[in-house]
Amino acid sequence: MTLLRRVLDRHWYAWAMVAPVVLVLALLVLYPLARGLWFSLTDANESNIGRTIGPNHIPSTYQFVGLDNYWHVLSGAEGHFYPVLAWTVVWTLICVALHYGIGLALALLLNQRARFRTGYRIMLILPWAVPPFVSVFAWRLLLNGQAGIVNKALGGLGLPAVAWLSDPTWQKVSVIGVNTWIGVPFMMVALLGGLQSIPAELYEAAEMDGASAWHRFRFVTVPSLRPISNTVILLGCIWTFNQFAIIFLLVGQAAGASSQILVTYAYQLAFSGVRDYSGSATYGALILSLLLVFAVVYRRRLGSPARENPT
Amino acid sequence: MTVTLTRSTPAVTSPSPARVRRRGERSRLASIAYHATMITVSAVAVFPVLWVVYMSFGDADAWANPAEILRSPVTSNYGAVLRQHDGFLTWLGNSLVVAICTTLLGVLIAATAGYALSRMRFPGHRPLMWTFLVTQMFPVAILIVPLYNILSTLHLLNTYAGLVLTYCTISVPFCAWMLKGYFDTIPVEIDEAGRIDGCSPFGTFWKLVVPLARPGLAVTAFYTFLTAWGEVAYATQFMTTPDRYTLAVGLQTYVGQFKAEWGAMTAASVMISAFAAAVFFGVQRHLVSGLTAGAAK
Amino acid sequence: MRRGIAFLAVTVALAASGCSGSAEPADSDSGTITWWDTSDATTEAPTYQALVAQFQTQHPKTKVNYVNVPFSDAEQKFKTAAQGGNGAPDVMRSDVGWTPAFAAQGYLLPLDGTPAVDQIGDFLAGPAGTAKYDGKMYGAPQVTDTLGLLYNKALFAKAGITAAPKTWPELKTAAQALKAKAGVDGVYLNPDSYFLLPFLYGEGANLVDVANKKITINSPAAVKGVQTAQDLVESGAAAKPAYTDGYANMQAAFKDGKVGMIINGPWSASDIFAGKAFQDKANLGIAPVPAGSTGQAGSPVGGHNLVVYAGTKHAGAAEQFVQFMTSAASESTTAAKLGTLPARTSAYTSEVTANQVIASFQQAMAIAQPRLALPQASDLLGPLSQDYVKILQGEQAQAGLDNSAKEFAKLLPGWSAP
Repeated sequence: MTLLRRVLDRHWYAWAMVAPVVLVLALLVLYPLARGLWFSLTDANESNIGRTIGPNHIPSTYQFVGLDNYWHVLSGAEGHFYPVLAWTVVWTLICVALHYGIGLALALLLNQRARFRTGYRIMLILPWAVPPFVSVFAWRLLLNGQAGIVNKALGGLGLPAVAWLSDPTWQKVSVIGVNTWIGVPFMMVALLGGLQSIPAELYEAAEMDGASAWHRFRFVTVPSLRPISNTVILLGCIWTFNQFAIIFLLVGQAAGASSQILVTYAYQLAFSGVRDYSGSATYGALILSLLLVFAVVYRRRLGSPARENPT
Repeated sequence: MTVTLTRSTPAVTSPSPARVRRRGERSRLASIAYHATMITVSAVAVFPVLWVVYMSFGDADAWANPAEILRSPVTSNYGAVLRQHDGFLTWLGNSLVVAICTTLLGVLIAATAGYALSRMRFPGHRPLMWTFLVTQMFPVAILIVPLYNILSTLHLLNTYAGLVLTYCTISVPFCAWMLKGYFDTIPVEIDEAGRIDGCSPFGTFWKLVVPLARPGLAVTAFYTFLTAWGEVAYATQFMTTPDRYTLAVGLQTYVGQFKAEWGAMTAASVMISAFAAAVFFGVQRHLVSGLTAGAAK
Repeated sequence: MRRGIAFLAVTVALAASGCSGSAEPADSDSGTITWWDTSDATTEAPTYQALVAQFQTQHPKTKVNYVNVPFSDAEQKFKTAAQGGNGAPDVMRSDVGWTPAFAAQGYLLPLDGTPAVDQIGDFLAGPAGTAKYDGKMYGAPQVTDTLGLLYNKALFAKAGITAAPKTWPELKTAAQALKAKAGVDGVYLNPDSYFLLPFLYGEGANLVDVANKKITINSPAAVKGVQTAQDLVESGAAAKPAYTDGYANMQAAFKDGKVGMIINGPWSASDIFAGKAFQDKANLGIAPVPAGSTGQAGSPVGGHNLVVYAGTKHAGAAEQFVQFMTSAASESTTAAKLGTLPARTSAYTSEVTANQVIASFQQAMAIAQPRLALPQASDLLGPLSQDYVKILQGEQAQAGLDNSAKEFAKLLPGWSAP
């Protein structure tokens, strides 16, 4: 009893201060998550879920089906999971690689003293300032097969027009390109911040030891950037894997059937045709599991960021 | 032969000084290459936005014939978009209301938790941090169906409250995680000084730490605002009538499967972008430091 | 932090109370009703809004809140609103394919015996059939339409084509002539499954066989039909369709005189007449869709019904509004201004039939086939669109249709597949 008393005395302030967040998380995140997982264990869809509309009372008739949905999806019987997963993984890897690579290159360039540096920086941040749903529509206009300026420019150069938003392969190139255009500024700014916090003495010391530019990059820049690189790459992977807006708005859902990633496909299950709530929830649970596994593996290999100190 | 360096370090003999160059300076060629690269990349970054501005001066069919705009530009798109009933101005208002409420709720609710996590080692702090990280990984897909059902039962679909609550599922964990990082950068000595002066932990938090963390709070609030402002999936499903659409949903009504009102869409886009860019560039200088301090944990 | 919770609680309470339906007296025709109109916002909406204004002068106690919802999103938005009981309209302009589906889900009020469907015998048989479900009438037909072959007469003259093609092979020849002699694309096929139906009907095929509960989308006849479309695209007779914004690109190209023929319905007429190539309305030619190898042509009966939401609080006002909007006078006005086909016999006044677009489409209606009497009918079109896109991109027609059949089987459990 006194132990409990002591524990309470010591920590009640802390618990009181985290109480609002815990409450919000429990109500808004954990409860819906539990409900979502429950749906994934049933065959709930639009027709059998209970509803009362005016004089019409329709009872719930959906049933518990256990792990049937998961088996149906993972065994390939449903037919869409593996192709969509493969493309989602490819999409994530290519996008993050491009984001990081181009972001780092631009950050290094912007870190140099040069005239017009501020001007370049402002122009390069513009894709980040514009809300994504606006930029995607801008690109949809630019890449329009018939009337888009990109194809007209290609035509002007004598090259054949490319079906950017129609051909399955070019669609994939287009979404990766647009995502890169939108996502590079964030990486660039984050890495630039990291670069600017590297003390100049490190570079001078390396130079005095006779290191070339490449060696300085490899042995001073890269290690110093490691903490921030790890964070932005992890964030980048998660955000890209779950990136909804770009594919949803650029290629739509009917035309973009071959370019759907897991999240847009799950959304399509839930909100088009006969709404399949259980199927969508199943996909959602699978996506979350994949990301959890990835995050655990990633952090294990690189050390836990939550414990690192910012010095 | 000695070469004078730009910094005050002892003179160093340069191995083969064919042409003396100051340390850190580039050759002519490198300079041209540098600027050429930067100009090209900047052009790629800026061109789509400029194109949208150009197209906003075309009439309904101008998107198929862009060159025509040079011949006969029109400004009617802006007027039409602004005058539209339950149109752009309504959506802008809705987006602002939802984003501001989400930001306020997120920062207010999460601030104390971030502080507690940063300073106090209480039982359950490790799982809580993990929960924050994990909830940020949630795809839209896992929560959208149950939230849709819950909001539907509570008759909160197509209301501000429903959407703000939904966005809180994203903003609260995110704010808590980022704010913990910011509070970590504030020296513990401040807290000790407060305790010596007799303040309760909450008093220390409110009177001493929060003023110092204001930049961090501002940056967190900004990121939260950006996320809520640009969210597409939940807004598209939960807001069903045009008088409640946010900008993300409203913009989709111009261009769909059977219509392509690119003139109106580009005019609305320009107005949104101008507003967003103005806010962004005011804050952008702080974003660099903000990210490194808060996120590099 | 405690402030945060209080804020949250107050916000929720305020919003919940403010946004639940306001308690208005259930008078027969007073109150505010909301109408979701799915017509084109720029070309068709003004006409409908004028009619709404007319209704309000005749019924001063009723206020109509006009909301234009894009057609492509309307079905899902209505379902969300109807299920959630929040923000659902009182009256909705529902595509004929959606009406049985909405009725089956319990979202609609049956209208038999109400003022909404007065003079029920005046409705054309086809449209009236689409508004029925389970023996009850759930909608009042407002417009009917079908797909037809639209062509540019000037380009035809340039290519030396004297008459509209009557079969698909004739269409292919005409398209090739247009390419060779007039330098434009022959035909533009919208890569959407609804626009695939003429190809299927031309071979006597259909998505499913309702009477025998069979899925027939992958029958040999259907495969032949799809292959006709595929061949048109692959041979170059048809322009390469855009899969994103396909409809918009089709319209833009036709209006600009860059393509000679398209397959579309009467709703597009007002948009077409705004285009460069059709400033002279006489330049637009309209013919029934070409026939397939069976010698028969077929196009789907489309159109819209006005339906009443089951959870409406102003059923009386809603029904009166529906009656007004589907009256012979209203339908004639719409027809005269927009070139849509009325769904009432008495609405076909001489003024209406004098309209060239309407007269031509009336002829096209002669070969129109009624929709499947099935609530899931419009849901079948979604998966078929996805496979149609893949087929046009090069997939084998049989494989693509077999996949569609599999998807159909999920929507129609218990039905047999070949």
